[in-house]
Amino acid sequence: MPSPTDDETPFPVLSHSASLSALDRSHLSPHDAFTYPLRQTYDADGAADPLSHLRHLKDDRSRSRRRKRAWKKLMWVKQSYPDNYTDQATFLENLQRNPRLKPYDFWPLVADSTVILQHVCSVSLFVVCFVGIYQERVSPVSLVSGSSFATFLGWILWERWVSEEMDQEEDVSASGIGIGITASATKSESIRRRARAASIRRPVVAPRIASVTPSSSTSRPSSEAASSSSSRPSAGNSTVNIQIQIPEGERLRTSRPPRHSSTTTSPSSTNSPASPTSPTSPISPISPISLKEPSPTGADGQPLLRRASSEVIPDFAPIPNEANRLHQRLGTIKSAILIYSTLLGLSPILKSLTQSTSSDSIWAMSLWLLAINIFFFDYSGGVGAKFPASLSTNAALMASTVLASRLPSTKQVFCLTLFSIEVFGLFPVFRRHVQHRSFRQHAILTALLILGAGWGVGVVMRDPGPPGSWPWRRGLGGMVVSVLIAAIATGGCSWWLIGLQRYKNEIRGPWDPARPIIMSRQRWESQ
Amino acid sequence: MGRKTYNIAMVSDFFFPQPGGVESHIYQLSSKLIDRGHKVIIITHNYDDRKGVRYLNNGLKVYHVPFLVIYRAATFPTVFSFFPILRNICIREQIEIVHGHGSLSSLCHEAILHARTMGLRTVFTDHSLFGFADAASILTNKLLKFILSDVDHSICVSHTCKENTVLRASLDPLMVSVIPNAVVGENFRPRDYPTQSEKGEGFRAESSPRLLGPHDVITIVVISRLFYNKGTDLLTAAIPRILENHPNTRFIIAGSGPKAIDLEQMIETNVLQDRVEMLGSIRHEDVRDVMTRGHIYLHPSLTEAFGTVIVEAASCGLYVVCTQVGGIPEVLPSHMTTFAKPEEDDIVAATGKAITAMRAGKIRTDKFHDEVKKMYSWSNVAMRTERVYDGICGTISEEEFYGFDTTGYTGSRIRDFALIDRLKRYYGCGIWAGKLFCLCVVVDYLFFLLLEWWFPRENIDICRDWPRKSPAEDTAEDSMKAAPNQRSTSSIRVAKLDR
Repeated sequence: MPSPTDDETPFPVLSHSASLSALDRSHLSPHDAFTYPLRQTYDADGAADPLSHLRHLKDDRSRSRRRKRAWKKLMWVKQSYPDNYTDQATFLENLQRNPRLKPYDFWPLVADSTVILQHVCSVSLFVVCFVGIYQERVSPVSLVSGSSFATFLGWILWERWVSEEMDQEEDVSASGIGIGITASATKSESIRRRARAASIRRPVVAPRIASVTPSSSTSRPSSEAASSSSSRPSAGNSTVNIQIQIPEGERLRTSRPPRHSSTTTSPSSTNSPASPTSPTSPISPISPISLKEPSPTGADGQPLLRRASSEVIPDFAPIPNEANRLHQRLGTIKSAILIYSTLLGLSPILKSLTQSTSSDSIWAMSLWLLAINIFFFDYSGGVGAKFPASLSTNAALMASTVLASRLPSTKQVFCLTLFSIEVFGLFPVFRRHVQHRSFRQHAILTALLILGAGWGVGVVMRDPGPPGSWPWRRGLGGMVVSVLIAAIATGGCSWWLIGLQRYKNEIRGPWDPARPIIMSRQRWESQ
Repeated sequence: MGRKTYNIAMVSDFFFPQPGGVESHIYQLSSKLIDRGHKVIIITHNYDDRKGVRYLNNGLKVYHVPFLVIYRAATFPTVFSFFPILRNICIREQIEIVHGHGSLSSLCHEAILHARTMGLRTVFTDHSLFGFADAASILTNKLLKFILSDVDHSICVSHTCKENTVLRASLDPLMVSVIPNAVVGENFRPRDYPTQSEKGEGFRAESSPRLLGPHDVITIVVISRLFYNKGTDLLTAAIPRILENHPNTRFIIAGSGPKAIDLEQMIETNVLQDRVEMLGSIRHEDVRDVMTRGHIYLHPSLTEAFGTVIVEAASCGLYVVCTQVGGIPEVLPSHMTTFAKPEEDDIVAATGKAITAMRAGKIRTDKFHDEVKKMYSWSNVAMRTERVYDGICGTISEEEFYGFDTTGYTGSRIRDFALIDRLKRYYGCGIWAGKLFCLCVVVDYLFFLLLEWWFPRENIDICRDWPRKSPAEDTAEDSMKAAPNQRSTSSIRVAKLDR
């Protein structure tokens, strides 16, 4: 008998499609096992209906006489079945398909995607402002004073929100400790050790530490407690904040300056709080800035840490809340002034930074950097999450630096850099808080951003008309287009993502590494 | 006329001097196949200064091919560079079957591809489990699918492993056999087991109490590399609780790895230095000596295709507490094991149950050794592997090998060597991958023709065979048809012949 190749067998199209349509099954049959990956192509390899031969294998009389005992999925028993026997009842019975599939809903998805929209809009606003300054259509000073004023307002708002949350937290601090302890299991060793050391030294502060430290991790449940307590204006707490260094940087540094005001070389710390730059203080811990101005923040940061943890705590602990808040504010203002003056000093250097590079390279480079900023931005971060992902923020600040270096005058350079710090460093923090507080405000903010970005792009797209004319038509057109694009992008992408869910085919089974469940890790750690 | 014997080349990146499960599997299987009258050579890459041809016990010839090693003893995957030397070796040794081991070994993958091009039969043994989620697994799975779409037969070490391999490589389940690993029973005797050889006797010659009293110390042994996927985190969390709940217990932990530091910290934090003994990494020969110091073997692994070590532990007369993951539930009967979920609480509870049962004297660990010896032996593995060889070479008919299923399935499972048929099989691997694989196969074929012209077959010397052993008289068909008890006696007889 001529043995035909397996490809010449009749190809059971119907049975395949039937089995594929049953996607909601949780178990696969052996049949699926080797047809599903091949389903879109020509099933060349042995795909000719394995069910049929398995069925026949089962019905086979001459074999079944010998098989008196049922086949078992065990290896230590000697079984009278051949080694390649495939038991249809048990084969792949433990396979699960999409075990943790959580179907998306349209509107929640759209609502969530507004975060991305907001960020893209703020980036485009920044670009628009740069173009405005570059084409000398916008006065850099008016831009930066306006934005600084807005930032100042935002700071005041933010501080009020935080203190409100603080007061709420005060009552439920005990439960907050619990959350903090359990969540702290995931945080890094060094932080844990330091926190423990601090807690040993000052048992009174310990609960707060426990709830503060998780803010360095990205664990969600603890983020609230963390954010609220990390900004608690007690001095004992502030030392802990400094030790952690990264999370919510602006709050950390705020408490620092009062203590070392005598040692720093800053200008007088009694500047009026209404100074236009004061709201910028929160960005002091962002790394790119400390790169640019190593002396004030970086250099005496280290000794200060040590001092703070050893001496200062006992002195400051009994200070009441109000005084602490005042201290914090003063500190914020002071670091704002530090940054302000440092930027002012650095601007001439920045201006000549890329003189030898052609503009084309700068445009391309800043495009890439801004793309990196958008793609690596930490959209999921809650209120207390780590300060905006460092790669993203660094990329944005580098983009603004190279863009600023294209500008002709020192004033423009200074203004653009300051503006970029406000947009990329502080605005995300504010946006997160708004989103956290109420969805309505969040939506309003999103709409404003979309409209603003659209208007700006529309205006900038065109050569400036005669001086004094207000390009409202262009602006309106840009707004309409941006709203359209935003709607299509969020709606379309959400719809698309929901549609793509059908193709999700996650396979789980006993071969996957088990996830160990460890309860008492903290136990021996804390003993 | 006895059985047909074959010339087999085992190909894998993993072989001695590197220790490990795959390595010892290849060695033991080869040596038992040689005992059964086959000719077996092993092709692996070079280890340090170990290049060229070496002979091991039993006339086992090992080719150490010089290759660039990139990661954990796996060679750099160059698709075609292995072909000339593989062809040379196969012609020299008159190889008929190429048997690759280990899905992470690129040497094995290449060998299977080229062997098919040269018209040799191929078998692949999978020793490990892979997920489907992460990028590395997806890549490995695609590669495995490429290789296995044309392989004659696959062997897996457990049923779970078979399911996994069938899914990963889209195979016909009937073309995958399950043949477990085994242990060398003589190397894993209990402490006071009567033996004819004297070598293991001097070790801790205290008489083991038949019945453990409430104040006798129960020793729990853990032997594993201390990695995350071996469940060291679970171990670290469970040990203090177990020791707290059960006063007269102690731990012996052997093995090293990145998680050792966690264990040491745990010991120091809880001041358990006198109750937990860490031995560091030990040689495979010493495993038995360490195991016989204990009563319970704890195996907290998170994934395991077979878990040879728990069979070894049971063979040493230890009661086994293990996590219920991967292929582990298939390996040992329930009276030798307690299963736990991979959770800290459950492991503590299961170990506690095991300790209580040991103290109550409910477990006859002294019988374990003989039972395990009956369950797993390398001669049995060799016999079953031989049946696979018979099946793919046509010594036993296809109906016999795959079952009488020709009515519904008119195709043949015997893979023919015609290039067009091979290309058809590869083409089904995916929209893009299928075409890419076809391209690879075509280039491979052209390369083969070039080699045939450049280094003609006639110019390659045929090497002389090591004197073959007379094959054991039982035939593969007999052993398969035999009732279970007959089969086990035949394997024991083979084992006796070996000595």
